[in-house]
Amino acid sequence: MKPALCLVVQARELCTGIFSLWLEASETAHRVKPGQFLNVKVSNGPDPLLRRPISVCDVERSRVRLVFRVVGRGTAMLARVRTGDELDVLGPLGRPAPELHHKDIMLCGGGIGTAPLLFLARRLRRANRMQVLLGARTKAELLLVREFRALGLPVRLATDDGSAGYRGVVTELVEQQVRSQGPEATSQGRGRRSAVGGKPSAVFACGPRPMLADLVKRLDPIPVWGFVEERMGCGTGICYCCALPKKGGGHVRFCEEGPVVKLNEVVL
Amino acid sequence: MNPQVTIGKTTFANPVLAASGTFEFGLKFKSVANRLGGVVTKAITLQPRVGNPPPRIYEFPGGMLNSVGLENPGFEVFCREVVPHTRKLKCRVVVNIAGATVDEYGELAARLDSEPVDALEVNVSCPNVKEGGALFGQQPSVVEAITTLARRRTTKTVIVKLTANFVDPVETAKAAEAAGADAVTTINTLFGLALDGNGRPFLGGRNGGVSGPALKPFALFCVDRVAAAVKIPVIGCGGIMSTADAVDFLSAGARMVQVGTANLVNPEAALDVWNGLKAHAEQNDLGNWDAVVGRTRRRS
Repeated sequence: MKPALCLVVQARELCTGIFSLWLEASETAHRVKPGQFLNVKVSNGPDPLLRRPISVCDVERSRVRLVFRVVGRGTAMLARVRTGDELDVLGPLGRPAPELHHKDIMLCGGGIGTAPLLFLARRLRRANRMQVLLGARTKAELLLVREFRALGLPVRLATDDGSAGYRGVVTELVEQQVRSQGPEATSQGRGRRSAVGGKPSAVFACGPRPMLADLVKRLDPIPVWGFVEERMGCGTGICYCCALPKKGGGHVRFCEEGPVVKLNEVVL
Repeated sequence: MNPQVTIGKTTFANPVLAASGTFEFGLKFKSVANRLGGVVTKAITLQPRVGNPPPRIYEFPGGMLNSVGLENPGFEVFCREVVPHTRKLKCRVVVNIAGATVDEYGELAARLDSEPVDALEVNVSCPNVKEGGALFGQQPSVVEAITTLARRRTTKTVIVKLTANFVDPVETAKAAEAAGADAVTTINTLFGLALDGNGRPFLGGRNGGVSGPALKPFALFCVDRVAAAVKIPVIGCGGIMSTADAVDFLSAGARMVQVGTANLVNPEAALDVWNGLKAHAEQNDLGNWDAVVGRTRRRS
C-alpha cells in the first residue's frame, strides 16, 4: 500500500477549530467503507513524524471528505492546508463498520464525533431505519446537521447550554429516547425512515471517551458500536502501539480491529 | 551488480531488512517484504505476552517513544499460525527472540532450529520489559552467556541485537563475537521518558524506547565504533528514514541496514530505501557493496 498525493479541492473551517477538507481521491473514494480512516501526513518533513488518523466523513463520487478538530500541533498544521494543496494520505485503513440490514439503528455523535457517522448514515440508511442524535457544547458547534437532514433522516439535537434542541448531554437524550420507545420494534409495519424509530437494535456512537463510556452504561445491555479515537503509530496493524484493553484481558489493536469496536467489550 | 549479502549461513538478496517490531511478521505487506533482503519479526517470547497498557506511543519533534512491551502470541502460536505464512515469503525471515531468563533464549533457539525460518536475532536490548531485555544487554558477560547458549542450540544464523543504553556496544559486540554470533545489530531503541505535562509518566509502561530520525547520529556513531572493533558483520539500525541514511550506515561499516520507525510512516519505506540503494549502486557502478561499506574509516 502506497501513500497517495491527493489534491485538496475544498478546505474550509466549519466552526472554530473544526475543519473540512474535500480531497480528490478516486481510488480511495471507490474503496473506502464507513468506519475506515485515512492516515494523513501533516508535514513534508520528519516533524511531526507520524501520520494523523482521520475518519472519513463522507464520499461523493471521486471525492473524500475529512472533518477534523484541531487538538494539537499536528492537526493545527493540517488546518493550514488550503484548496489547491496536495495532501499525502495512506488508506483506507481500519476495519469497516458492520454492514447491517433491516435494523433500527441509532447514531449518536458528540462534537467532532459526528463526522464519521455521516458516511455511515449515507450507506446504511437504505436498508435500515435510522435516527440520528447529535450533541455539542453549543449550537455553533453542532456539526453537519444539514447534511444528515438532507439524507432524510430524523435528527434530534442536544447542546450543553440549551442553545439548540435538548439542554443537556446527548447521551441523556439517547437514554430518554430509548426508554420512551418501549420494546424493540420489528421491521414490519413501520416506515423506512419513520420519525419515531423503535428501540434501537444497534447503536453507533462517536465522541469523547467519557461520552462513549456514559452511553454504554446508560444503554446496557443494548450493544453499542463505537468509533474510538486514540493515538496510533502506523495505522496499518504492524506496530502494536494502539492498544485498547479488552474486558477479560488482552488488547484490541484498534487501527486494525477497529476503529469501530463493540464498546461493551472494551475498557474505556 | 551483486546486491547479495551473506551473514552466517544466510544469504540475503539485498542489504535492507525491516526492523523488529515495526513490520509485524511481514505478512501485512507481502509485496514489500518479498522485495527486501529480509524481515525481522516482532519479538517472540516463550509464553504469550499481552504487552504494556496504553498509551504505548509518544511523539516528539524528530522521533517517538514506544512502550509496546513485547506483546506477542508466544512461541507456540507463532510457529503454528505465523510461520506457515512467513515461510512463503520470498525474502529471508529472521525471528527476533526475547527471553525473560538466560535459559529461555537457549530454549527458544533450540525450538526454532527445526522451524522453516532463516535466522535468529537475539534481542538483549528491549527497553520495555521488567525482566531481561536491555538489562541483559548492558552486561557483556550476560550477552556472552546468552549468545553461547543460542549458538550451541541452533544451527541457524545467530544475530545479536545490541543496546547502547548505559553500555559501550563495543564491549557487548565483542562478547557476542567471542560467543559465536554471526552478526550484531547496532542499535536498539534508547531509554526514554515522556511526561504528560502534569509530572506524570505519559506512557502506560512508564518508560519507553526512543526511535526515529533523532536516533540516527548516535546509532551511526555506535556502528562506526562497533564495526571497527569486531570482525563479524554489523547490521546498522537507528533512525534510517531514507536511502541517504542507509548509505551513511553502510559507509560507517554496516553490511546491512534495518529500517524501523520509517515503516510506521510509510509501509513501503524499507522498499524505497532498497530501490534507492540499487539506484545508488548503478549510478556509482558498484559491483558489490565493498566500496561503500566501511569507507568512512578509510577516508578519515
